[in-house]
Amino acid sequence: MKANLKELTKGIFKENPVFVIVLGLCPVLGVSSQVSNAIGMSAGVMFVLLFSNIFISALRKVIPASIHIPAYIVIIASLVTITEMVMHAFVPAVYSALGVYLPLIVVNCIILGRAEAFASKNTVLDSILDALGMSIGFALGITLIALIRELFGSGTITLFPVGTFSGVINIPWFINNPIRVLALAPGALLLMGFLKAFFDWNTLRKKDR
Amino acid sequence: MRKNIKYAMILLTICAVSAFALALTNSITSPVIAQMDSNNRVKALEAVSAGYDIGEQKEVTGHAYVTYVIDLQKDAEVAGYILGLKTAGYGGEMTLVASYTAQGEMLFAQLLTHNETPGLGKKAEDDGYMDKFKGTGGAKPVPTNKTMLSSDDAQAVSGSSVTFTAIAKAINGGSEYVKSLGGVK
Repeated sequence: MKANLKELTKGIFKENPVFVIVLGLCPVLGVSSQVSNAIGMSAGVMFVLLFSNIFISALRKVIPASIHIPAYIVIIASLVTITEMVMHAFVPAVYSALGVYLPLIVVNCIILGRAEAFASKNTVLDSILDALGMSIGFALGITLIALIRELFGSGTITLFPVGTFSGVINIPWFINNPIRVLALAPGALLLMGFLKAFFDWNTLRKKDR
Repeated sequence: MRKNIKYAMILLTICAVSAFALALTNSITSPVIAQMDSNNRVKALEAVSAGYDIGEQKEVTGHAYVTYVIDLQKDAEVAGYILGLKTAGYGGEMTLVASYTAQGEMLFAQLLTHNETPGLGKKAEDDGYMDKFKGTGGAKPVPTNKTMLSSDDAQAVSGSSVTFTAIAKAINGGSEYVKSLGGVK
């Protein structure tokens, strides 16, 4: 059981897909301009990663090694298209917010990477835990970047509208003094670099002890 | 040979199951999406109608930007037009609706569909984005370049010049189309 739990926790910190393995950076940089986009993207990645890991793990003895990639791509692309159709119909605001990045989950390296490196060699239970851990790690990474970018770059925190709440929280002082570059693409790259350096420094510091 | 046939059969089975799952999902979601698109279009037409009565839609073919035209009427007289516009943004085709006076001055506009980048070109959906084009196209030219905007407006479209230019050109094309109709009939 402890070994199983390790599959869940490793993706959150030790093998965090964003800051340690450095996978799936395109959506991390692209949609992290608002917190709501980061949460929506995380939900999409979690759904696709969870089900692709389940199907690929369950079919690992059926799919021969030489047709891994085409079989995985068909499964992943189908799951992404299903996610896209369901989001379009039932959560149009999130679908609209994610835009082009939603279909791009098909080529997100985390999904194919975990399918090939983990789900194709492990049991369904371990694959579910791996998918959950990696998804949570991805969600934490992209949400942290989005929070910093939106707070300092726009002076707001955008969540989802509920009832009379518009979903946008204006942060005093920051809203009148935004660091515009953080809201733009170069700011995302700069921030990613600084955070990666921080996580590397933290890992090395722990190793030295 | 037998190995290749086995591989092909495995892939065929995966594709068939995937196709079935997609067809099932599509049969559930497509009516919801179609209804939503129809509601959004009606809302957009009402939002840009400026209080005038909305007439019948007439398709326009062969124009670079205009796809359909709807008369805006007041007391059974044509007071202006709503145009369906299409243009090419950073993420591909964008569609919008815009209303004009009979002299080609833009009244209101709203973005309908697009694939612009979240956080950048997607800001064109925001309330107020189209305000920079309001009242242009008549005596005042449509700002088709960032240098024609105030510094605040220019900063608002910073990082999404392609989207801004595409929308501006479509609105300008719509204005020219209305002028070619020859004013109030």
